[in-house]
Amino acid sequence: MKPQQLLTGDLHLWEIFLVSRLPRLLAILCTGVGMSVAGLIMQQLCSNKFVSPTTGATISSAQFGILLALLFMPASTLWSRAIFAFITAILGTWIFVWFIQRIQFKDMVMVPLVGIMFGNVIGGVTNYLAYKYEMTQALSSWLVGHFSLVLKGRYEIVWLTIPLVILAFVFANHFNIVGLGKDFSKNLGVPYNLVLFAGLTIAAMITASVVVVVGSISYIGLIVPNVVAMYKGDKIKGTLVDTALFGAIFVLICDMIGRIVILPYELPIELIVGILGSLIFIALLFYRLKYGRKSIRLGSTGTNSCATMPNLKGGEQI
Amino acid sequence: MMKIQELTKQYDGKTVVDGVTFTIPKGKVISLIGPNGAGKSTVMGMISRLIAHDSGLVHFEGKDIGKWKSKELSKRLAILTQSNNIQMKLTVRELVTFGRFPYSGNRITSEDESIINQAIAYMELEEFQDRFIDELSGGQRQRALIAMVIAQDTEYVLLDEPTNNLDIYHATNMMKTVRRLCDELGKTVILVLHEINYAAFYSDYICAFKDGKIAKFGTVEEVITKENLSEIYQVDFEILTIAGKPLSIYY
Amino acid sequence: MNTLAIRANRRKLLILLALVLLCAIGYMLLDVNFSNPKLLAYAMKIRTPKLIVMLITAFAIGGASIVFQSIINNTIVTPCLLGMNSLYTLIHTAVVFFLGSASVVAINANLSFAVDVVLMGIVATVIYSWIFKKTKHNVLYVLLVGTVLTSFFGSIQTTLTRVMDPNEYDSLLNTLVASFNNINSEIILFSLVLLIGIVVVLRKELALLDVLTLGKHQAINLGVDYDRCIRRLLLGVTLCIAVATAMVGPISFLGLIIANLSRQFFKTFRHSQLVVGSALFGMIVLVGGQLIVEHIYTYSVPISVFITVGGGLYFLYLLLTRKKV
Repeated sequence: MKPQQLLTGDLHLWEIFLVSRLPRLLAILCTGVGMSVAGLIMQQLCSNKFVSPTTGATISSAQFGILLALLFMPASTLWSRAIFAFITAILGTWIFVWFIQRIQFKDMVMVPLVGIMFGNVIGGVTNYLAYKYEMTQALSSWLVGHFSLVLKGRYEIVWLTIPLVILAFVFANHFNIVGLGKDFSKNLGVPYNLVLFAGLTIAAMITASVVVVVGSISYIGLIVPNVVAMYKGDKIKGTLVDTALFGAIFVLICDMIGRIVILPYELPIELIVGILGSLIFIALLFYRLKYGRKSIRLGSTGTNSCATMPNLKGGEQI
Repeated sequence: MMKIQELTKQYDGKTVVDGVTFTIPKGKVISLIGPNGAGKSTVMGMISRLIAHDSGLVHFEGKDIGKWKSKELSKRLAILTQSNNIQMKLTVRELVTFGRFPYSGNRITSEDESIINQAIAYMELEEFQDRFIDELSGGQRQRALIAMVIAQDTEYVLLDEPTNNLDIYHATNMMKTVRRLCDELGKTVILVLHEINYAAFYSDYICAFKDGKIAKFGTVEEVITKENLSEIYQVDFEILTIAGKPLSIYY
Repeated sequence: MNTLAIRANRRKLLILLALVLLCAIGYMLLDVNFSNPKLLAYAMKIRTPKLIVMLITAFAIGGASIVFQSIINNTIVTPCLLGMNSLYTLIHTAVVFFLGSASVVAINANLSFAVDVVLMGIVATVIYSWIFKKTKHNVLYVLLVGTVLTSFFGSIQTTLTRVMDPNEYDSLLNTLVASFNNINSEIILFSLVLLIGIVVVLRKELALLDVLTLGKHQAINLGVDYDRCIRRLLLGVTLCIAVATAMVGPISFLGLIIANLSRQFFKTFRHSQLVVGSALFGMIVLVGGQLIVEHIYTYSVPISVFITVGGGLYFLYLLLTRKKV
């Protein structure tokens, strides 16, 4: 499809454009912006650079919600599934954060590990139910993020990310303060629990609306904020726009790769993001181990209970 | 004999220890002092093999410390760091028993038993010996760790800030113990200390660090002077002589 | 020295052993028709290898989990974080996807076991030795890399299943659920040899476990070659889990449950007791669980589901009761 053809007024092409291509583009942008902002919010609130919708049980909770909707309302619409996913994602994230707030972690890496195990618990229940009701393969459509089913009329939920991201932008400073700890925010007159759980709710709703439409996409929420923080620092307000834009570009590029590799077929975005994301993440880890705090600042010095000072010198610190 | 030559360490491109050279006299108490970030703990880590050095030499009893077999070294040199958060349910006696590990592994001989008994008695821990480590107070726990080091029966004992987190009573007793380790048991004790007066009162030699380099090394009287300390710590000092020792006041 | 506690723990070990025996006898003899020798022989023939498989699995996972927790110095972790489960799932999915469910590799149990063990062994060696060096001997970062790889394998695997023929998928699904059925004696023997080999090779490091729990600095102070020791143990743990997974399929959370039960039950730092205790608890959970699955649920629910759900709840309980992890 070429732009000139659209300009010449070919109705059929216009239809393809409006029904499939434009929604796909918008969905990609919303996904990229939404997931990376959700990751940024969660990292900021917990002041731990390894927390994200994937490592914070949000995605697995949303999947669980979708499965519940499929089980109890086989004829459910996208909207009712979305509502289920919203509720479970919010609850799952809340419970996870409530857990990690109670515990003092010896090393910040333990937080994502606990989150992953937490996600495994929820995933285990989801898998069991899916297995029992023979829904495993149907469910795998929501386990693998892909844009091939994004068409006009069945993707609009993903637009919800836009107002949520704007909301996050408005309250960015509050999230910053809450990330510095309970006593710190009380001192500045910020209601700690309210802001914390409101922020988590925003992150969870963004995640859930993406999972319902395109399926789960891991890593974006983890990697994009970290990459941006490498050159911008840790302040949420300054980095929020960069994070959002970078996220959109990242998903767009991944989608293009997925469509080019095995033309005329396409690979699901989750696969591309999964492969690229793993590599980038491991590279980030090694980079950080080599150059320490200078480049990527992980964790802040706050007294927040879900943060501990990172062990920057690796195994060699006294 | 421990000789340190041109020891250097960098973290993230920043030089933390820069060409440190000194010789540790045997059978004495040597304190490493200096402001925060002067590199004293890093030097301690490097001469005890806990931290690898980038360049330079740590000559210990005839060969470089890296060439020693870890097991052999653990019979000659013991190190106690601040990071002793022992997770396991461990009684004082069991902890002290670990001091014999370099000699007997997991099989404790009757000779080991008597050494362990002596170590516990030396630190006056008999009544606590079956208590769990995590139930003890900070001072008692520190004594238990020292007892383990005594059981390890090494010529050299390295202590990284042994008075940290202890109140005046326990800290002073700890320093007295350090003196006894040297005078009664003939050990060479090397410590990192923050309190200058403890260093001045209880050690034979002092090695003062500043910016990763040795600012001054010598006997207590040589190092603890008004000029030296003001230079190293960048605050005003007055020196008083009490009980024949130069004690300092800073303000 | 503290002889009372040691004697009490010996008694506890005996109690566990008795329970294991009870479960095993119950498993072998329940609902068996003694009057008909042929049926009896048949039941024995079916049940004996299953029992042996469960005992071996419990030993491998139980021992590996205790060792793993001790080298990480954290009792909330489980070796399923190392990614062997998802690698197993990926290997089997890839075999069915590229070669078909009727291919030799998919059908021949010995071959598929060999493929599993070799591939997992290679990945384990490469990742957990190389990355361990690369991360300046920081075990936690190795673990983090392990979880990254888990989702890496996972995203490939789910992609494959999504485009897979539903019939093929159904046949695949059965191999992805842990099961103690249909494991032939060659595999059992081979696994046993591998596991014993690992224990023999690592016997020196295993003797150092008590000292390792004192922390890195104390261990070095007492003359342990810390980094080498941790690297070898980590590799051993991964290989143990790989063998167990290749034998029966992915069981997550089993290690977490039995290792913590053993720690709570024995309340000691002595690994000789902890490891044996963990293995015995594993045997009780597996044999007892299988007994319930076979006789009460009549096979309707696979045992791994119970273990995952039970283990998940136990994990949450551990998190709730602990202040510091």
